[in-house]
Amino acid sequence: MDRRKFIKSAVAGSSWLLASNHLKGVLPLQAAAARPAASGLSRVEARYYDKLPDREIKCRLCPRFCRLGDKERGFCGVRENRDGKYYTLVYGQVASYNLDPIEKKPLFHFLPGSTAFSIATAGCNVACKFCQNWEISQMRPEQVKSRYLPPDSVAEAAAKYNCPIVSYTYSEPVIFYEFMYDTSLEARRKRLRNAVISNGFINPEPLTELIKVVETIKIDLKAFNQDFYTNYVHGELKPVLESIKQIARSKVWLEIVYLVIPTLNDRPEEIRQMARWLKAEIGPEYPLHFTRFQPMYLIKNLPPTPVSTLEKLRQLAMEEGLHYVYLGNVPGHPAENTYCPNCGQMLIERYGYTIKKINMSGNKCRFCHQIIPGVWS
Amino acid sequence: MAAGIDNLAQKGNYNFEFMMNNTRVVIIKSKTALAANGLPDPASVLRIFRKGVEILTGSSRPEDGLSQIFTSQDNIGIKINTIGRRAISTYPETAVTLGLWLAKTFGHEDKITIWDRTNEELKDAGYKLSTSAGSLRIFGTDSRGFGYASEPVINRSVASLFSKIQTELVEASISLALLKDHGLAGITGGMKNYFGVIHNPNKYHETNCNPYVADLFEMDLIRKKHRLTILDALRVQYHRGPSYHPQWNEKCNQMIFGFDPVAVDTVGWKIIEGLRAKKGLPSLEEENREPAYLKTAENLDLGQARLENIEIIEEEV
Repeated sequence: MDRRKFIKSAVAGSSWLLASNHLKGVLPLQAAAARPAASGLSRVEARYYDKLPDREIKCRLCPRFCRLGDKERGFCGVRENRDGKYYTLVYGQVASYNLDPIEKKPLFHFLPGSTAFSIATAGCNVACKFCQNWEISQMRPEQVKSRYLPPDSVAEAAAKYNCPIVSYTYSEPVIFYEFMYDTSLEARRKRLRNAVISNGFINPEPLTELIKVVETIKIDLKAFNQDFYTNYVHGELKPVLESIKQIARSKVWLEIVYLVIPTLNDRPEEIRQMARWLKAEIGPEYPLHFTRFQPMYLIKNLPPTPVSTLEKLRQLAMEEGLHYVYLGNVPGHPAENTYCPNCGQMLIERYGYTIKKINMSGNKCRFCHQIIPGVWS
Repeated sequence: MAAGIDNLAQKGNYNFEFMMNNTRVVIIKSKTALAANGLPDPASVLRIFRKGVEILTGSSRPEDGLSQIFTSQDNIGIKINTIGRRAISTYPETAVTLGLWLAKTFGHEDKITIWDRTNEELKDAGYKLSTSAGSLRIFGTDSRGFGYASEPVINRSVASLFSKIQTELVEASISLALLKDHGLAGITGGMKNYFGVIHNPNKYHETNCNPYVADLFEMDLIRKKHRLTILDALRVQYHRGPSYHPQWNEKCNQMIFGFDPVAVDTVGWKIIEGLRAKKGLPSLEEENREPAYLKTAENLDLGQARLENIEIIEEEV
């Protein structure tokens, strides 16, 4: 793709955002109309579980390892033991779908300006007190409106709307693993890419298989200390760090997001430690996004993150040697742009989710020909 | 919208102070409680209810006892647990008998609501749904016009959306659950039954459901509406619960009554431990799953978790 076409597609990508607001509920998908799930719950056998005596099961999908008796559900609320067999209740049960610019995820080094056909089901394997999508992520599937959209229909819809990417996002795609995996295969058959937007709270075995069928994974690193994960996430840090390392070792493109919450996870020393860890374990090339917190869900008593805090933390991370450190949820800030780590020239100019200018030749800086890591075409 | 929580204690003539400070737990046994088909016999169950309320309240007539707990103006909710389908849910023979007795006593069938999370679970447990005027109401939170409140309510470790049945309809609540072993909580009884009131109980099963069971019960929407716990221990799943496993399900022919939700569950725990010991199973403590939420609940002043502080009365009908 030449530069002119690239920018044209980027502009087209932005216009999808406007259209997407009108899409909910009116997308004319034949398969969705043809096969509504009678109960609103799917009954597809889950992967990654062990059968135990007395009709119990042990889930191996995420580090919780939920052990469940008959009729019980895991922490995620979407996987259920029925008579000793474990089922996903959300296979094809899409609670939210939209056309999003890939910058919204955010993924800045992955097909900039592209549109992602984005889907989610109900459920999540953590319980963040600051979740911005809690109205689907913290729900059980029968508590949200869903429509049946099996993998082939998702891929078909993405292609129909000229989306080169299918994105698994909003809630936590790990908990709809089977649906995500099968949809990724269907998307690949249509020469589409797959982007996973995840908390990284997944076991190595399912992640190994997932890595084989997707092109990029964005990990939300919620903090760099276990106390925060215990008190505000209801999860564990160590498995997330392991996931980051595992993804970085693979061919899948990785970006990391860190939502900065005033007084809770914004200590400079912690950020410095995190930056050092990232550089030592996965290298300086993977983008790190510091995003601005807005009060919501169970944390409404804290103010939005001061921009000055974000700027300071970005500076710290760059001092530690990370090459691509961005600020998010601050439209118009210079740190939304991509700069060449070699010559310092601006390579991609952004405003919010919109691409304004690109100064790259393929995967290189147009000015000094430095290779910029990412997936550019 | 039903009367506000703060007004409930002032409404009617029931004896609020008497209930709050009462740690009496009454166990009523009946050899005829279970019919030949293994299900509760409604006539025997009614005798159990009447005797239980009579002794619990110290009244000469059971119906006078009910009037100490409820008023004729109350919208009474009977919160049942139907996750175990027909085999191991609160039985319709029990809940409907209680509902009809309350209706007969207070004169309004449609002020009595038997409810749980979903209509499907209620039907699977053998209930015939009903929302008709003039009859008992039996339906789930997912019924049209109900669902969950839109804003989470927070207390300590718990943040949940509440069923509108609990927030908008029920003014006085009875927890009517089966006594069962629970692989995580240790036991499931009258307090954990209220997990069915919130939208996200799956988030509160770790660390033996502790402190979640207590933290949830402490919320005004439950604590200030809760009037009576009745634990159905006609058959008790004493191992591998809460699922049904016939080899560990024992006929016990008894029901347990109390105002103090912690005391009732504590007595239930001891019954399960007794059965486990009798069958040669390790205690819940030995399996690292004793119901720690009871101690937490006691620390929150929700009731008594020590047997020596509980007045236990047993009687047979």
